[in-house]
Amino acid sequence: MKQSEIMVRYLREFVLAVIAYVIAIVAANFLLPYYPLYRSPWAIPISLLPIIPVIFILRGIVKLLLNSDELQQRIQLLAIGFAAGMTGLLTFSYGFLENIGMPRFSAIWVLPLMVVLWGIGLAYFSRRYQ
Amino acid sequence: MNNCLKVLRAERDWSQAALAERLNVSRQTVNAIETGKYDPSLPLAFKIARLFERQIEDIFIPDSNLEKV
Repeated sequence: MKQSEIMVRYLREFVLAVIAYVIAIVAANFLLPYYPLYRSPWAIPISLLPIIPVIFILRGIVKLLLNSDELQQRIQLLAIGFAAGMTGLLTFSYGFLENIGMPRFSAIWVLPLMVVLWGIGLAYFSRRYQ
Repeated sequence: MNNCLKVLRAERDWSQAALAERLNVSRQTVNAIETGKYDPSLPLAFKIARLFERQIEDIFIPDSNLEKV
């Protein structure tokens, strides 16, 4: 499959997964008041509903990486390594700040932080090969 | 590593995008190889050599300090 076709297929799957994510968020927020955790164990699967499309997004990213050419894989490795390292460093550092009374950092922000850093890493490492 | 990929491509009047399509890589990869910013793997170098009907060493020229090794 051509590189451009791989990207088009990935983007199509990504857009569908994002639409599914928005629907899942709306559905979960609609259903959760009827199934509070103290009354129903259904609160747990309902609140995790948006994770299903996120799994599809991750699956798409893995497929994209597997089908990318060798330079793209190298750039992605550098960007993902940068994102993973920086996310670990930032959250670990903030853990020490929490010990001295800084506000608690919700774990839900770890993935968005990693995605933003991945984007920064991609832009930086991609420029090195242009 | 230096290479004469740009010359070979120009001889055939191919754009970077056209060459990228023939090699099944991205245009950025072709550009990075041409400008010496990226050295291709051995399989990709063979693919390039086959496409231009040359030997690998006719297309890719090692840096002078490597020649002494």
